[in-house]
This record gives sequence, C-alpha cells and structure tokens, in this order.
Amino acid sequence: MKRISSLLKKDCRMMASGKFFLVALGSLLLYTLFIHFGYLNFMGDNANIYPVYLYDPEGTYTQASTLVHSVASRKELDAVLAGDAGSGVGIYVKDGKPNVVLYAGTEKVDRHRADYALSLLHSGREYKPETVGDHTPEMKQRREITCELLFIEIVAVGFLGIASVLFKEKQMGVIWLHAIMPFPKSLFVFSKVFLFLLTDLVFAALMTLFNVGRSEAGGILPAVLIQTGILSLIMALTGFCCTMLLKDFKQFSLAYLVIALFTATPVFLSANTAIKMDWIYCHPFYYVYMGLKNAFFGTPVTMPGYYICVVCVIILLFGITTTAFRKEMGKEG
Amino acid sequence: MIEVKDLTFSYGKISRGKNKQALHGLNFHVADGEIFGFLGPNGSGKSTTQKILTGILKGYGGMVSLFGKELKEVHTQEFSRKIGVLFEFPYLYANLSALDNLHYFASFYPKEQLRDAEEVLDELEFKRDFLRKPVSTYSKGMRQRVSMARALISSPKLLFLDEPTSGLDPSGAVLFRRIIEKERRKGTTVFVTTHNMLDADLLCDRVAFIANGNIVALDTPENLKEQNSSRSVVVDYLYQGRREERRLEAQSLKAGIPFPYDELISIHSQEPTLEDIFIRYAGRRLS
Repeated sequence: MKRISSLLKKDCRMMASGKFFLVALGSLLLYTLFIHFGYLNFMGDNANIYPVYLYDPEGTYTQASTLVHSVASRKELDAVLAGDAGSGVGIYVKDGKPNVVLYAGTEKVDRHRADYALSLLHSGREYKPETVGDHTPEMKQRREITCELLFIEIVAVGFLGIASVLFKEKQMGVIWLHAIMPFPKSLFVFSKVFLFLLTDLVFAALMTLFNVGRSEAGGILPAVLIQTGILSLIMALTGFCCTMLLKDFKQFSLAYLVIALFTATPVFLSANTAIKMDWIYCHPFYYVYMGLKNAFFGTPVTMPGYYICVVCVIILLFGITTTAFRKEMGKEG
Repeated sequence: MIEVKDLTFSYGKISRGKNKQALHGLNFHVADGEIFGFLGPNGSGKSTTQKILTGILKGYGGMVSLFGKELKEVHTQEFSRKIGVLFEFPYLYANLSALDNLHYFASFYPKEQLRDAEEVLDELEFKRDFLRKPVSTYSKGMRQRVSMARALISSPKLLFLDEPTSGLDPSGAVLFRRIIEKERRKGTTVFVTTHNMLDADLLCDRVAFIANGNIVALDTPENLKEQNSSRSVVVDYLYQGRREERRLEAQSLKAGIPFPYDELISIHSQEPTLEDIFIRYAGRRLS
C-alpha cells in the first residue's frame, strides 16, 4: 500500500509539473465554450436529427412524425440510404413490423439511431422511446459533439500525456532506477495508467455535465464513464508501450500520426460523416467509438461479447506493456 | 558474497545473426566485507557484468551466486532489498527535492532497514540549504551526493558503485572514499566498477581487469604492482656542476651509490601504476 501510494504521489507530481492537469482543464474550458457559443450557434435549430426514410407498402404507420420521409419502393429506400450513409436511417415495414435498415453502422452498435427512427413512427403515442430521451435537435447536437470531443481528448491528449511523463522519466534516467527497487514492476505501469484513467473519468464526467446538462447527464453518466474508462485504458496502455519501444518524443509523435491516421480517423469519418467504408466493421476501434456514442444516447452496449473482448484486450496490453517496461529497464547505460 | 563461474552473456539473438557476445566465461568471487574493483575500458563488459549481478539483465550463461544463493533462484524483490546501487549517472527526479527523491525511493524498502535521509545527506556533506530545492538546481557533485545517499539509505549488505567519484571535486572524492571505507567497516561488501585507477588503488582490496569480455588479471593492487615492477630505481644527481639521471637495479644500491656524484637530488622507484599494468595486460588504455 505504501509503495503504490508513493508511486501515485510521484506520478501526480510528474503530471502536475508537466502541466498535464492545466492542459486538461484548458481543454475542458475550450470545448465547453466551443459547444455553448460556437457549435450550437453555428448548427442552429435547422440541423436535422438523423433523416428517417420509411417504406411502408402496407400503410401500417399512418401517424408517423412529419420528420419521416416516405419513399415509394424498397429500391428507392436503398438509394436514399446509400446517398446518406453517414446518418440516414431506413425503416422497411413488412407484415406490420418495422425493420431498421442502416447503411453505416449496424442496429446493434448504433441503436440510438434505430431507436430515434422507431420513435418517430409512433409520434410519441404508443411507443415510448425512453432510451432516446428528450432528443431535441439541440440535445442531439450536444450529445454528439460532446462525445466526439471527448473521444478526441482521450485518444490524443491522454495518449500523448502519458508519453510526455514517461519520456521525461526516461530522459532523467530515473525509469532505470526502478529496475533495482524491491517492488513488482507491474505496479509502476498500474500507477500511471490508473492516474490517467482517473483524470479521464473526471474529465468525461465534467464534460458531460457541462455540455449535456445536469438533468440529462445523470442517466447516461455511468455508461459514458464505463466507455471512457475502456478507451482511456486502451490508449494509456498503448501510449505507455509505444514510449518504451520508441527512442524519443519525436519518434513517438510520428507513431502517433500513424495511429491517428490509420486508427482513429477512419472510425471517426465512418461514424460521423457520409463516407462509407465497408471494412469498418473489422476495425476494433469502431466498436469502442460506437460504444461511447451509444452511451451518450442512452443506449449502452449490452453485448457480453463486447466486454469480454475489451477486458481481454486490456489484459493483453497490460502484459505487453509490463514486458516492454522490464526490457527498457535493462537498457541502462 | 559473490560467486561467479563461467559467466557468459550475449546481446541479440544468435539465430538472427546479430549476436554479440559481451562476456566470455568470467570467473571470480568477492568475499564478505571486501571492496572489489572491476576495471575496464568502455565496451569491455563491466556494465553488463554489473547489470547481471544487480538482477537487471537476465538470460546469462554460467553460474552467479549472491548471498549464497543462485541468482536465478532468488526472488528478485527479496534480493533487491539487500543491495544498493549507484549508477554511473546521477539519475534523480529533477522536479523533486533531494529529500523527496530519497523519501520516494526509500518507500520501496521495509521501514526497519531504512536510515534517516537527512542524516545520510549530512554524512555526505550535502548543503542543507538545498534539501528542499528541486534537483534541477543542483550541481553535478550535489546530484552525485544525493545518488550516493539513495544507494545507502536502505543500509545495503552489498553495494554496487559505478564510477562513484565521477563528477566530484578532489575533496568530494576523498569524502566518498572515506564513506565507502566506513561502509566496509560496517560489514558491507562493495563492488566498484571504475575507470579511475586512483580510486581502485586507494580503495580496493582486489581488482579485476576486464577487456573484451574476459578477465585478464585479478589480484590485489600491491601484488599486481609487484609482479609487474621492473625493480629498478632512477637516481637524479649533480656531478661536476651538471644534473644527471641514471637507472639502476634496486639490488645494486645495497652497497651504496655505485658511481661518483657531488649531490643526490632524488631516488625514484620505478613502480608501475595500475594503468600501466592494465595496458600491459589488455593492450589498451582504460579510457
């Protein structure tokens, strides 16, 4: 206990001296100001929630919302969805049952869109879209942009943050001293990752409270924190591992560019724009991002497979990182 | 205390053809309470040997036994508690003070074996005004003192010192040698890795010369000097108003100075330095 508290205290001081907390606070303020005075004003009330297209040959849903665009055939439904792959939701009614059709994303990982579309079918009478909540266009925008900025913050700042602290320790040579200290080396990894996780969770909670609103945030916060925790752990461990394997911050920045370019960008583009990528379902980050997005829209991932995979990935990354750390310690001199 | 038999170590994988053998079967032992010097130029294998002995490098060949137990079988944490290591460079947290650094590293050891941080720093004549100032404001000598304090704070039974007097002024070097000697009197075994022949000569009970991964000589400094001495003397004298110098066998002085002179200026023995002996054995200089 004494050892872990010592490590945590030291890491906290390292993060503070590296101005990490200040940067995180600055980002929080900047994002909040941007959302309140920039993004929402810019988007205005004209922004549509997901366009919903309905093909209802049997005429089952006569009281659908005026926000639903009816199409005359299945072919037309496919055509409009193909042209609006980023956010459009199609509903194909067969035997009185609505079937959700999504071109980007799947119903399972993109349920807020499906739920939103289904809620419009009933115009709020019989169907109670509790999971969708009070999705006014503004609220939808708030949740979406908060989720996107939080994702960027954790993927970028968290990842670079752990590296900046570790490179400083490498530069000072103190990282090698831990090789001869009588404590389990995994504690060193744990302490850093735990602190970054804690910071990311506080950041996510404040970001959600400030930008989604206190009343709305209460319901979604647990799921948002779980998804933030998953993303934070993956990024912090990857950052730690890269720092051990790479020589200096310059090399690390290049590696980060590669990660950002090939890992985060396609996921971001695929999930938030009309750009269609068929292979995106094979991209593990897509599921993590959609998990976060779904959490923001009150439809947390409930698939056990997702959580099993995530836990396995985190354990694997922890093992690789600890091994890389042990190897790095042997390089002294 | 330390027993090393046929110690070998290679960097890289033999199968990949990048194998570089750093140690070629070293054999030596260090007795309890001994100060043992390990001398060699850069790249000779002395740091590799120290890393193996301190448990940092694994995957060596041969047998290494410390505290009477084979290193491979010793629990790393249990072993780390008994040793103190001073690295060649004073690795410290630059944003923390001397006391914070010492308290942080001390927190990994059981309380009962710890010494008081301020007391150790006082012993090392560390300036008290700097105790709470960040290490980034310290001179190299002050950093070296804090590093030495870090190595001593856990009252180790076995002390590994890599270039202990590097970065110190002459009085600092004298102080460090005095402290190392004091540690030995307390029963601590000291393994010194150095380029500094003066340190080795003044401190060590025995020295080993390592070159290209092999121990080329191992004995007490006195024996090494004696074995390699030419047993001659140089006589400096004045004769008929001229200053002259003559080399003689020491034995020939038994019956007095065997040549005419007006005034003797000095008689120097031709005893080799440890550096001379190292060059003789290894065929190259230490640094």
